[in-house]
Amino acid sequence: MHQAGQDNYVCKNVKVNLFSSAPIEDIEANSTSGVSVYNPGTGELDFSIPVRSFHFPKALMEEHFNSDYIESDKFPKATFKGKIQERIDVTKDGSYPITVTGDFQVHGVTQPRTITGNLKVSGGVVTMTSEFMVKCVDHHIEIPQIVFHHIAESIRVRVSATYTALKNNNSSK
Amino acid sequence: MKRIIIAFTLLTLAVGLKAQQTDTTKKAGGKTSSTDSLLNAMSPEDKHQDVIGAFKATRLIFSQTTTTVKRNNLNFLVIHRFGDMGTPTGGARTLFGLDAINDVYIGFEYGLSDNLNVDFGRNTIGQLIEIGLKYAVLHQKMDDSSPIAITFLGEYGVRPYGSFSSYSARNSYLGQAIISRRFTSALSLQVSPIYVYDNTAMPDVAGNDKGFFALSGALRYKVSKHMALVVDYEHPFSSFRTGANGFSDPLGFGIEVETGGHVFTLNISNARAISEISSLSSTQADYGRGQFRLGFTISRMFDFNHHEQWKTNN
Repeated sequence: MHQAGQDNYVCKNVKVNLFSSAPIEDIEANSTSGVSVYNPGTGELDFSIPVRSFHFPKALMEEHFNSDYIESDKFPKATFKGKIQERIDVTKDGSYPITVTGDFQVHGVTQPRTITGNLKVSGGVVTMTSEFMVKCVDHHIEIPQIVFHHIAESIRVRVSATYTALKNNNSSK
Repeated sequence: MKRIIIAFTLLTLAVGLKAQQTDTTKKAGGKTSSTDSLLNAMSPEDKHQDVIGAFKATRLIFSQTTTTVKRNNLNFLVIHRFGDMGTPTGGARTLFGLDAINDVYIGFEYGLSDNLNVDFGRNTIGQLIEIGLKYAVLHQKMDDSSPIAITFLGEYGVRPYGSFSSYSARNSYLGQAIISRRFTSALSLQVSPIYVYDNTAMPDVAGNDKGFFALSGALRYKVSKHMALVVDYEHPFSSFRTGANGFSDPLGFGIEVETGGHVFTLNISNARAISEISSLSSTQADYGRGQFRLGFTISRMFDFNHHEQWKTNN
């Protein structure tokens, strides 16, 4: 028998928006290809975002993001593996502020982070949203002085994910 | 010499097929929970993606690269070749040829789609106007399902001035298949089989071939994120265009600096002409005779895709 609320919740189209205000023009990118797993039993909340899935309004921005800044050949994924500090009852509808502590890896550099967000439960559907800043220097992302598409030292990241329960009776591999 | 060049290019391509890049992703953390394994199962690494940045620019010194201008982008090009550095017209008096301009190309390349470009430009030598179509048929993939990139290029050239027997005698044509491979994140090579046809042989002397095959080979080696060394070489397979008749193979060396939006290439070459039609047809300048020159290429990319419109679509 499976306990209600102990299933893993999964999202296969995590939306991530990056925003950097820049002197010539603001730089923004979206990805909808991230995956996330949330385990209400343990509070674990993990994300994996393929960095090549970020699309920019301008072709050169996307090329520079991949080849100069994030080096997607060497570091193809950005990940977050954390734990929600609050106890959330996913059988009850409601909106819960959450604090997630874990390891955030971008550009091959892992940083311990505590990130706040919001978790909403509505009829078995779990929606998570968060907004936080990432400092380029924390992840050894160099900002070259001569480039045209200059990015800010901190990038704003917005994440939203809608989860559905995964009945994982035989998922142990 | 010809056989050596062909053998060498085939060899380097063949070696490259085996030199697959290894993935350096590190496993994060030590914990392996059910969420971990589930996450890994849900996010298999997608290696079936295009390799980015085999070449930063659409042009090296003589050659066009497999790189295309992206959709709704306009690349503005200004290319210069100065005068001889090492002949009596060179030297300190002309600041090593900088006072003399042998050839100037001003042109545009526009991306009709990410893979299809149209280009237009004018050269000083022969007042040659060129119109071209460039189409990227194959992209190199990260997983080597396609180990190379192939781009086709067709150019039509016309010389509106000068005395010719007819209008069609003013025309030249060039077709080539550009084949490239990024071997490592730093090293990219390309080879291009080319066919050139001049309706009037260039130069127009008895015995010269109007149509001939040629092969070009180019190398780009990144020394930093924004700087690369380039070498570009061309060889026309023309029985008339021999050293004995005063011809030389174009050979150029350059430094490419990329500043995001701009690509600037400073080079030294023997060929005076910028257009491949002209440099393949009529390069008679030789390093050994001091006939080499400074040149540069400035390329500036304009992107007409608007941020606001992108926002509404995303």
